[in-house]
Amino acid sequence: MADGAADRWIKMGAAVLCTAGLLAAAHWQLPFLLQHWAVFTASLLLAALVLFFIRFERSAISAREVGVIAILAALAAVSRIPFAALPGFQPTTFIAIVSGYVFGGQAGFMVGAVGALGSNFFLGQGPWTPFQMLFWGLAGASAGALGRYFPGMSRAAMAVFNTLWGFLFGWLMNLFFVVFFIKPLNWSSFLLAYGASFPFDCFHAFGNLLLYLLLGCRIIKVLRRFRLKMNYTGG
Amino acid sequence: MLKHLYYRDRGTFLQSLHPAAILSYLAALLLLPLFLTHPLYLVSILLAGLLAAFTAEAAAGWCAYLTVGLWPALLLLLMNPLLSSNGHTVLFLLPPLPFIGGRTITLEALCYGAVMGMRFLAIITAFALYNTQVHPDRVTGLLSRFAWKSALLVSLATRMIPTLTRELSAAREVQQLRGVDFGTGNLRQRLQKYGWLLELLLVSSLEGSLQTAEAMQARAFGSGPRSSYLRNPVRLRDYLCSCSALAALFLSIYARVRGYADFTFYPQLGRLVDGVSGWFFYSAVMLSILLPLIIGWGWQRWPYLRSKI
Repeated sequence: MADGAADRWIKMGAAVLCTAGLLAAAHWQLPFLLQHWAVFTASLLLAALVLFFIRFERSAISAREVGVIAILAALAAVSRIPFAALPGFQPTTFIAIVSGYVFGGQAGFMVGAVGALGSNFFLGQGPWTPFQMLFWGLAGASAGALGRYFPGMSRAAMAVFNTLWGFLFGWLMNLFFVVFFIKPLNWSSFLLAYGASFPFDCFHAFGNLLLYLLLGCRIIKVLRRFRLKMNYTGG
Repeated sequence: MLKHLYYRDRGTFLQSLHPAAILSYLAALLLLPLFLTHPLYLVSILLAGLLAAFTAEAAAGWCAYLTVGLWPALLLLLMNPLLSSNGHTVLFLLPPLPFIGGRTITLEALCYGAVMGMRFLAIITAFALYNTQVHPDRVTGLLSRFAWKSALLVSLATRMIPTLTRELSAAREVQQLRGVDFGTGNLRQRLQKYGWLLELLLVSSLEGSLQTAEAMQARAFGSGPRSSYLRNPVRLRDYLCSCSALAALFLSIYARVRGYADFTFYPQLGRLVDGVSGWFFYSAVMLSILLPLIIGWGWQRWPYLRSKI
């Protein structure tokens, strides 16, 4: 479609312009950005979150897809609640990853993000909510990319991917705490803060690994079968 | 503990506000501690937030937040004097510790850490108010005009969480009747048992999602442009609250930019408030933060005022 091609050019132009704008701002206003870099970083992260939601808003989506994403997000949220007492053990990452792997990056992102938002209505919203939404969403989106380019991933590779996300999620979540509250921020204070969270990150990664090894293949099979059924009757 | 956290209709003043009004007030309570580092302002905002929480019957919810937020706040209080040796007033010298070495603990660094901890608690208080005073559906309803797909998804998922929780406990009871003991076994075995539950829940709820989709399609989902219907009256109290929130934001930004709301920690603690204009800005900001609470108090006590605003 000609409109689609023009649309793509406009989007690419906008992306190039934004990047150029950011680079120019970084070049000329560097002292200002460095002084307020915490605010700048947080706004970049929030902009990324908003962009993912805009993308979802612009996509054509069927009632079935909405239903499946909603139920998977609710499941990701509910699975958090019985484990809330165990620090760091978060099945949400695992559910976002398997749904992204089967249903694609966008669905994975929405499962992670909406799961974080919805569960926090019950576990408590906080300054952590947008960051949890973004990073769990990214776990799902990256699994979607993995499922698209390497559909036949081996079990071991997927297990490694899950474990890595366990660590990565904790480290990314630490960023917001470190950036806003710890001053002076230098390597020793940075390492002290990350060291304080390291046991929790290990729990999270280990929990992810165990969940994947015990359940991953079965749940992926269930989801794949459901995707087939959904698309078949949806024709 | 968790049952105090989510929204319940308590008929309080803050709950009766339009979602945009309460959101702007809570945004003021959240943003002020984010860009102010003045201890007097931070203490007063924290106290105002606490007053709001206690008058809105959200004290239990706030305490639940405190159990989570106390540890990071203490960490901030202790970490700063350990890591920063700025400041002139030396309180005592620490013997050499692993990783960080010997340290001088100064009054200024301790105060800065305490202020950072207080800032964290003030932010947490704003969120505790949000969780207990704002119905999730009213916010998604507000957003549904701009982003209806995301709003629909969020409210569907939020609606399903209690249902799924009930189904989870039902499935757990069925498993227990069949002799599965969730309390025994090592980590791997326990995880296996919870894993069965998760899989069971997944299979049954996926079938349910197809039915949801069919129900949505039967109600003409996706068949054309959407209409929206909202019943959120905007009353005088909503204007008053959002205006006072905006006033607090603008006044404090102005005071911060002009240097009336600054406080020097290093090398030596500065004066708390400087001169008449410092006091003027402090009282103006605090008055605009407290105004909705004062109106709320009058709204509760005085039926005439309640009928008028």
